[in-house]
Amino acid sequence: MGKENPAAEKASNLLRSRLCDPNFVVKHLSDSPDSNYSKLKFLVSSSVTEACNNSILLLGPRGSGKIAVLELILTDLLLEYPDTISVIKLNGLLHSDDCCAFKEIARQLCMEHQLLFSKMASFDDNSQFMIEMLRECGLAHKTIIFVLDEFDLFAQGKQRLLYSLLDAMQSVTSQAVVIGVSCRLDADQLLEKRVRSRFSHRKLLFLPPSKEDMQRLLEHILSLPVDSSLPHAYAVEFNKKIKNILADGRFKEIVNTLVNLDSTVNHLLRFLFLAVSYMDLESGFLSFENFKTALSNSHRQPKLECIKDCSILELYILVCLKRLEVKEQNSYNFNSVMKEYKSIHDSFQTSDYYSRNVCLRAFEHLLQRELICFTDNRGYSQSVEFRPVKLLISSIELHQGLKSYCSCPVILLKLVER
Amino acid sequence: MAREKEESMQVSRRATRSSTFSANNNGIELGKPNDSYIPTLGDLVFGQEPISLDDLLSRFPGRRVQILELLRLLGTLNSSMPPLFVYGSASTGKTSIIIQVFRHLSRPFVYTSCLSCYSPRILFESILNQLLLHKKNAFNGYSSAKRCEKPSDFVIFVREALINVIDSLKENAEKTSTSKLKGQVNGKMIYLIFDNFELVREWDKSSSILPFLFGLSDILKMPEVGMIFISSTSPDTYHSNTGYVAPIHVYFPECTEDDLRQIFMRNQANQKLYSSFLDIVLRPFCRITKRVDELSTAFSLLFKRYCEPLSDLGVLPNGEMKRRLFSHLQPHIAPSLNEIFRVASQPCLECGVNQETRRKGGARKSVGSGDLDDIGFHMSTSAKYLLVSAFLASRNPATLDASLFDTTGVSDSRKRKRKASEKSLEQKEAAEQELLMKGPGTFSLERLLAIFQCITSVGEEEEGNDGLRVDEGSNALMSDILLQLTSLCNSNFIVKGGSCPLEGSTRYRSTLSEDLAIKVARSIKFPLSKYLYRR
Repeated sequence: MGKENPAAEKASNLLRSRLCDPNFVVKHLSDSPDSNYSKLKFLVSSSVTEACNNSILLLGPRGSGKIAVLELILTDLLLEYPDTISVIKLNGLLHSDDCCAFKEIARQLCMEHQLLFSKMASFDDNSQFMIEMLRECGLAHKTIIFVLDEFDLFAQGKQRLLYSLLDAMQSVTSQAVVIGVSCRLDADQLLEKRVRSRFSHRKLLFLPPSKEDMQRLLEHILSLPVDSSLPHAYAVEFNKKIKNILADGRFKEIVNTLVNLDSTVNHLLRFLFLAVSYMDLESGFLSFENFKTALSNSHRQPKLECIKDCSILELYILVCLKRLEVKEQNSYNFNSVMKEYKSIHDSFQTSDYYSRNVCLRAFEHLLQRELICFTDNRGYSQSVEFRPVKLLISSIELHQGLKSYCSCPVILLKLVER
Repeated sequence: MAREKEESMQVSRRATRSSTFSANNNGIELGKPNDSYIPTLGDLVFGQEPISLDDLLSRFPGRRVQILELLRLLGTLNSSMPPLFVYGSASTGKTSIIIQVFRHLSRPFVYTSCLSCYSPRILFESILNQLLLHKKNAFNGYSSAKRCEKPSDFVIFVREALINVIDSLKENAEKTSTSKLKGQVNGKMIYLIFDNFELVREWDKSSSILPFLFGLSDILKMPEVGMIFISSTSPDTYHSNTGYVAPIHVYFPECTEDDLRQIFMRNQANQKLYSSFLDIVLRPFCRITKRVDELSTAFSLLFKRYCEPLSDLGVLPNGEMKRRLFSHLQPHIAPSLNEIFRVASQPCLECGVNQETRRKGGARKSVGSGDLDDIGFHMSTSAKYLLVSAFLASRNPATLDASLFDTTGVSDSRKRKRKASEKSLEQKEAAEQELLMKGPGTFSLERLLAIFQCITSVGEEEEGNDGLRVDEGSNALMSDILLQLTSLCNSNFIVKGGSCPLEGSTRYRSTLSEDLAIKVARSIKFPLSKYLYRR
């Protein structure tokens, strides 16, 4: 590595921080009037101003920017109505347990209103406290916004949290908005009847950005600001090169393959991050090759890699298992593999015939690589040789893997092909 | 010089930073118990001097691509990063390379291994302890800084701790930029490293701990925190009901043959000699395994044997000498190929080879004490009898016990064997198949003890007036025998199975392989084959 260009370093830092910050991307996508941003913002701000209760679900695949949009709206609203909003954030991964969730709500409410939070408070105390607070806030015309991330996880169990929240919102005195965020599109179907009847059934779907949006987004993310601490000439040059790359047909093809695999914004960002990390810091410009290597590196085939990692003996065992599978024996274990291995050796006189111990170790390596696994979880009393196993790769994968293996014995390929 | 290098290699290979650290701290504590050692941010970087990039690359031959990729992804100073997922099979150098990369960069990091932190609570507390610069010692009763069991508590605590650390890192960065202190903590990013991450999958089948840890960076939303997950299994083996945003994958492939050659050539005193040795052994061994740790144990023994004819280890081998050494080594390669995985000490290997030659020579006398070494471990005679009887009880059908252990029964079973019709052959095959699939059968304690008594009495008869009597009155030794049984169970020679649905008593099962059973039987001069029912 030669001396590095300080401007390039700065530029790469800037791009990386942009790519790690979903808000930056969302801000760009949110200016159109029929975007989710404007819809949600209108809904929340109207319920704040009109002092009514509301509930809504934000649905969309993982990484489509639901939380980022919501965060953006909440920061905007907090600036607009600083005194009349308090936000309570819960996450299904952390607070799916009702007791834990009420405690967290109480803690955040106490923090918000400078009250003393008691760790020892019971479940009933906390839920009572929440309902009291809802009423008090309603009387003071303050809106409490509940954000429930991973909403589907709250729908496990007895749904007491959801019930008491939505039930409290039925009264005129309270003033609250419940926003559920989930990547399960059927999240509202998971609700119990008593909860569902209290829910508003408003849903907001997050769709992947259109092609034009994608193109604009790419340009927005990758071009450097001209009026900043970066050298002006460098930034202009950089932007020109990016524009050229973006207009390139080959680049569009890359973006197409990406979108075909997974069209969420997050997926695109990860890809761009890889590309930026490949940027040559000496010249300081992104090149088309960067994007190409990023594409090939972001889509790996772990099973094929695993087969490539195997030693020849391990391949033999895999092929034996495959043959046993083809023979439709109902279950097989190490002993039957050894029998098969011996029969292969007897009929073809291979040079790779090793003792049982060595094969057993190779077998254990395969277990560690998770190319094979035990069919039962309980048989701990049995030793490894006797526990039935199954193959975790398909015959096509095995065949492909053997073909790409650089010094694979010919006999193995023959055995698989038959 | 070479020794020193080797040591450092070994430290970097297996020992993780936390272990080297704890060793350091123990030294401090033992030296001066009342030492007012104030933990600083410096504790979060690697304990030793940072190394240069060239040094880093030369330390791990064949891993250049991976190191450069890691450096690229970690990026320049203070650049944020999405979570990384580093995977590759065992002994490909994942952990040591990452630790050494951080040593090279001298950036702060928190290392936790899910192997030593085997439950969520221990993992959380270990991370918090390191972030809060808290050391367990006698003064605080070896307790953690924070008690936290639930992910929700952990998020609160860790956010607090991270904010503190990042603030002080920022302060530190400002200071160093003015005073230009070298070798200090670099940058204001902090990295959390989770090693052995594949174990998390087993922690709690229904729980959300896996998506929680994968989503931790999304939950924290702190651009100054980087996450690195190290796993020995590929990302497609991670399933969760809720799914997670896939981290960036970094793959460590298994070493190729050339890489392995470079790795083994490191730290060798006589490069030429070792290279000619590798020419012979590397290729055949690579066909069996590519794991560095297993190969190195096998090679260290073989190399000693290779050097045996040499008086001076510093000699440069010429063609003629190479040939001589090769012909010396060649007879040992094939047996050691089949023995590669035994952790055998030098005398043991020799003994095995001796055995081989002896067998070839046809000298198959009872070898007395030589056979004792054969098993490779020491065991009392009664334990051996117990082992043999457990083996018999597992292999023989219970209905045949009476005829086998009757004095006349032995010849009976032979007679039965002779007449083999078509049908019985088929049955035999099916039974063989079943034996292969089902493994050894189970037996009750009563049956084991009955067989034990039978064979000890036989043993006494056959031994006659030998001084090595097993037990004078085996009835009196019943409690001892039970004790032996427990210890055999503990050492996994015999496993306790579930209880029998009809009788309700515990069933046992012997895990002894036939070879080992024969060896054990031979060491107590017990005619095992006479009592083993062959289908």
